[in-house]
Amino acid sequence: MDFLNPVINGFAVVLEPTNLLYCLIGVVIGMLIGVLPGLGPAATIAILLPLTYNVEPVTAIIMLAGIFYGAQYGGTITSVLLRLPGEASSVVTVFDGYQMARQGKAGTALGLASIGSFIGGTAAIIGLTFLAPIVAGFALDFGPPEYTALALLGILLVATISSGAKAKALIAAALGLLLATVGRDIFTGESRFTFGSLQLADGIDFVPIAMGIFGLGEILYNLEERHRAAKAPSKVANVWPSRGDLRQASGAIGRGSVLGFFLGILPGGGATIASMASYAMEKKRAKQPERFGKGAPEGVAGPETANNAAATSSFIPLLTLGIPANATMALMFGALLIQGVTPGPQLVEQNPELFWGVVNSMYIGNILLLIMSLPLVGIFVRILRVRAAILAPVTALITLLGAYTINNSMFDVTLVVVFGIIGYLMKKFGFEPGPLVLAFVLGELLESSMRRSLLVFGGDPLGFFGRPISATLLVVFVLVAVLPVIRTSIAKRKPPVAAPAARQDIKEKV
Amino acid sequence: MKHFPTRRSVLGAASAITLLAMTACGNVAGGQSKTAEYPSGPINLTVGQAAGGSTDLIARALAEGASKTLGKPMPVVNKPGANGALATKEVAGKPADGQELVLLTASLITITPLAVSADEAVNIDDLDIIAGLSQDDYVLVASPGSGFKSFKDVTDAGRNVTFGTTGVGTGSQLAQTVLFKQANVTGTDIPFDSGKPALTAALGNQVELATIQLGEAMPQIKAGKVSPLLVFSEERNSFLPDTPTAKEAGYDVPVAQYRAVAAPKGTPQEVKDKLYGAFQETFKSDAYKEFNEKNMLTPKEISGEEVVTEWKGYAAKYKELVEKYDISLSGNK
Repeated sequence: MDFLNPVINGFAVVLEPTNLLYCLIGVVIGMLIGVLPGLGPAATIAILLPLTYNVEPVTAIIMLAGIFYGAQYGGTITSVLLRLPGEASSVVTVFDGYQMARQGKAGTALGLASIGSFIGGTAAIIGLTFLAPIVAGFALDFGPPEYTALALLGILLVATISSGAKAKALIAAALGLLLATVGRDIFTGESRFTFGSLQLADGIDFVPIAMGIFGLGEILYNLEERHRAAKAPSKVANVWPSRGDLRQASGAIGRGSVLGFFLGILPGGGATIASMASYAMEKKRAKQPERFGKGAPEGVAGPETANNAAATSSFIPLLTLGIPANATMALMFGALLIQGVTPGPQLVEQNPELFWGVVNSMYIGNILLLIMSLPLVGIFVRILRVRAAILAPVTALITLLGAYTINNSMFDVTLVVVFGIIGYLMKKFGFEPGPLVLAFVLGELLESSMRRSLLVFGGDPLGFFGRPISATLLVVFVLVAVLPVIRTSIAKRKPPVAAPAARQDIKEKV
Repeated sequence: MKHFPTRRSVLGAASAITLLAMTACGNVAGGQSKTAEYPSGPINLTVGQAAGGSTDLIARALAEGASKTLGKPMPVVNKPGANGALATKEVAGKPADGQELVLLTASLITITPLAVSADEAVNIDDLDIIAGLSQDDYVLVASPGSGFKSFKDVTDAGRNVTFGTTGVGTGSQLAQTVLFKQANVTGTDIPFDSGKPALTAALGNQVELATIQLGEAMPQIKAGKVSPLLVFSEERNSFLPDTPTAKEAGYDVPVAQYRAVAAPKGTPQEVKDKLYGAFQETFKSDAYKEFNEKNMLTPKEISGEEVVTEWKGYAAKYKELVEKYDISLSGNK
């Protein structure tokens, strides 16, 4: 029962009134921004980071996590009712969800999505509960060489798996790596790219970069996007899906849970890819694939389950290894660092209340979401009418005030503005900011771990292959790097396959 | 194609102006009132380290006591950066009216200048030191896999050892490099960002030795997971009475972290006296004493003049040691 004790204590942490309240606040904010098409969870978390500064670490992370998975619920609502995906991870829900709404089955679609989300989320938490301590058991085996390999793999996967142009993602990642080199070299004390400024001596802080690129950049970018006027929502009735619908969707929910769980763990994976993969899988498996796009319940249930499962399971690499799997997790990483908690293998052992408190809060959060999401649909749809003219300046102001409060530094505010402009320009020219931010976070880890390892190995790079974990990770790295090249060369020899039908231009909204 | 409707561009411009305005009005604050009655308002205690670290905790414990005596709040302001140089330089440039104080670490004065360029270093003469606070000892620990139980085991091993430091230009690095030179041990210096990762590396046998501050290492020492070999203080540490000092083992490396409170140069004597009195009052309080005990800090509550003399002495001593053994802290050996 030794294993279960901390788990149960974690529930005691969640059930403290403050933590419950923040969990509720988190999921409500999450749903809200899930509904709003402009702001994604990463932007919201970036903006709200400084506000968590004065609360307990557990409470802060519980709230931020709530925003993340809450957004997955909220995004569904607008996808189904208005054909307006609130989140990138709900884009595929539009195809069948909106069709169902047109057929008068909006309630069924939302009901299926909520039930699927709940099951997917819960399944992933259970997976997390059992997998995390196993990974953490290897805690002390993770030294500099292992971190080198992990960081390398993470950056590569993020740059290659992310949706959008690969070359642009790689460029963004390279820029992130470059930014990570700013500051005093921690091995020689030499100043790099600081231009004699003491402000830059410790490098650029992660939080202003995230707040600028995700927060301010998004706000600026959204200002020039014209939103379609929100149409009156279709009538929502019959939230409980019929038995037939449930039977039809149950397979999709089961598969979505598993698929989402694994895609969430994968560095570079996450909710968006999980939802798309699930949609593709359901369509492939279906006996009558032509039903898809015309209101197939599986087309809603599968992706909605998968995106929630992935949103939850992407906490695993962060909380157990200290490696953020995607941009939102990079922000969680930043949030933990602000709180003086370094995520990593030691977290489960040294900070069990935090670890299990956060994990268990997800059960509660999912229940809250299930209860709230359907009755509140009407209110959330009304929020869509808040004009950008009001929303944008308010969020910009919160961002800048927040940036100041972290280090009481005007320099940070300037940084946020500079990176806000960079983020805006990146979005405008089709560069995803995710790889930049993630490469920035992992870049520092990569550089210092690699140099540390080489010192330990006496400068012999073969040392990385002498340790089982780092060797395995590096082999995977090589495979991931080489595989696409092989695949394209094979594809070139074969006659070109018909282009995949009507590829949706999906931009990852972070 | 995208349009840029006028209303939206106006909006964009408006928020841009808001941003600019926000960035521009940074340095307006700061009271100017002359010291008719000190303190005239809240006294800011700036800390050059992040919140939650040992330096920050010391500042908060001190501020809590002193604000009671002085009858004005003493908020702790964290401005981390460049090992505290950023905060220290900023406070040194503030009006010398006693309303702005900084918590100073000795390593910034005595060791950092050995590792960084002159314009990045801080000169103690640019400040008025109010009072010394405490001493935070470094302990040399050995990883479980190294098999070292005493420093003699290290010298007898007759091989290259790997050692973790808490970073370039820290007492941890200075203490170990000098010690190994004196003991004729060849070692590979592996810098970490702070004490915690260095300790973790020792626990996981990624490095054989590491030197960290006692408060950080103590839980693992007590758990028997790392072995304490030496402390670098001149006398044995009361929290670790069975561990010999480097001096007893025959080496000349007196390294510890000291902390003091400082004000901008030219602060009036009566202000300094009032502050010194308030700090003395705090030192006597049970809460502050307990704080020191809990964090394994040895009180070093000396006057500002003594701090200057001692720290200058250490700075000269370290410079001499580094030159004598031809050590470069900035890694380009």
